[in-house]
Amino acid sequence: MTTTVINKPPVQSASVKPPASRRSNGRTPGQRAITPWLYILPAAILVVGVIYVGIGYTGWVSTLNWNGIDASGRQVGFDNYIAAAEDPVLWQALGHVLVFGILTIVIQMVLGLIMAILLGSNAVFGRPIYKVVMFLPVVLAPAAVATAFRGILAPDGQFNGLLHALGISSANSAWLADPHFALYSIAAINIWQWTGFSFLLYQAAISQIDQTLFEAAAIDGAGTFKVVRYILLPQVRGTTATLALTGCIGALKTFDIVYLTTGGGPGRSTEFLTTYVYKQVIEQYHAGYSAALSIILLILALTLTAIQIRAYRFGED
Amino acid sequence: MFGRPNKRTRLIAQIAATALALPFLLPLVAIVAESLQGEGFIKNYQAVLTKTPILQSALNSAIISAGVIALVYVCTMLSAYAFGKMNFAGKKLVFNAILVGLVLPTIALVVPLFLIVQKLGLFNNYLAVIVPLAATVIPFTLLLTRNYLAAIPDEVLEAARIDGCSSFGTLVRIVLPLAKPITAVLVVWAFLQAWNEFFLPLLFLQDQSLQTVTTIPLYFTGTYGSDQPKIFAALVLICLPIVIAYLSLQKFFEKGLSAGAIK
Repeated sequence: MTTTVINKPPVQSASVKPPASRRSNGRTPGQRAITPWLYILPAAILVVGVIYVGIGYTGWVSTLNWNGIDASGRQVGFDNYIAAAEDPVLWQALGHVLVFGILTIVIQMVLGLIMAILLGSNAVFGRPIYKVVMFLPVVLAPAAVATAFRGILAPDGQFNGLLHALGISSANSAWLADPHFALYSIAAINIWQWTGFSFLLYQAAISQIDQTLFEAAAIDGAGTFKVVRYILLPQVRGTTATLALTGCIGALKTFDIVYLTTGGGPGRSTEFLTTYVYKQVIEQYHAGYSAALSIILLILALTLTAIQIRAYRFGED
Repeated sequence: MFGRPNKRTRLIAQIAATALALPFLLPLVAIVAESLQGEGFIKNYQAVLTKTPILQSALNSAIISAGVIALVYVCTMLSAYAFGKMNFAGKKLVFNAILVGLVLPTIALVVPLFLIVQKLGLFNNYLAVIVPLAATVIPFTLLLTRNYLAAIPDEVLEAARIDGCSSFGTLVRIVLPLAKPITAVLVVWAFLQAWNEFFLPLLFLQDQSLQTVTTIPLYFTGTYGSDQPKIFAALVLICLPIVIAYLSLQKFFEKGLSAGAIK
């Protein structure tokens, strides 16, 4: 959901500097060495127990030829990874995630930013209503959203009905069942659901910009476009970086919407890495291969995160 | 646009905002409108409530949500207190290790979760959903809460300590009351994640009587086939608790969420 990228150390008032009495080991006075660890223990057990043990186990299973049912599998080393590299479905799925990721991230950012700018000034009447409309989709269950859009985007659904009303009487596409449209339709559903998140973050960032910057620009005769380009965009760079990162991770994570609208089909035309991982283990009983795909997914997520944090930090210096 | 908008700017901004919001509004309207079609509002919703397991599934989702909220609340508050207000060796390392959970796609854990749940015989047990769900929610709530607690002045805690409060006493009597706004965010966020979760219940709660609200649409597509109005009525009911929770805590929620992401 969020990132450490933009996490600056919380501002502390001057009086909160470490008191002279603090011992050299950095502990707060009166605190036993074990105390902080006791507080961290429950969270650490959960996170380590589920996430780290999970990743470790996945790594181990990924070196096995195993159906996940028999008592144990046969050790095959990196065979699963070699098979993955040669698997056209994996590459297809990665291509879909890439197209989906770029489309959704860019469009959500642009729409969210425009809306945040429009509602950031006091020019628009009824702003609270616009805000609720933009943000409401974010909190809805993806499972419910997917089911709703399966109806809306059906050949006889409300979307084609709208097109008919607008005079496009030939509109009868099955938007989610036609391999030419399915991936873009899923991207559209995602954009509908998540633009409110971009909007919210941009809105918060814009509200923190020093208003005198805008006033000075207005006095200098800068038009709206120039103000946005030279004052607003540089000021919301951190938010843009956050959204780019959460967007990439989100694209890699996307499962519910795809699984419940197209299930990866028709054919493989909307197969995502996540739906492929799921099918491999649950439907095909290829636990070892599915684990290898999971590790690839995880490495992609971590690499993308590292690259973006770097890029953002370098850009800042 | 910026500064003091004149009449013409106002009109253009209003039209632009409306044009932009319309594609977001129309599907919401379509969902509610469709749920009123066919046999009409009363009969559609009555049929969904009486002839389907939606009430049972809402109860299941509520149990899971309560479990996740409790677990997330306890783990987050305890650890955020230590990370935000105590100094110790290895603090940064452990904190970052937990934050790795932020970028982890849950689906990447499908193989181990499936096998562990199988081995422990936890199929059709709420714990199989509650525990992994809490583990994936905690990294985010910890980040939010740590930042919030770190901003509480040290003098406040110091005063409590001098008055004889233990560190746990300080947490319960001083920190938790001060942390009410972030607690609201944490609770809504955990509720949102638990109520909306689709993947884990799909995998581990396959018994008909244990279905959650998010797997209900699957039930409908099987049983009701093309009775769209009833499916949409069910969707409205599924989303209602979340919408109510969001609208009633909107201010806290938006502030907390954006503070956590851009701080």
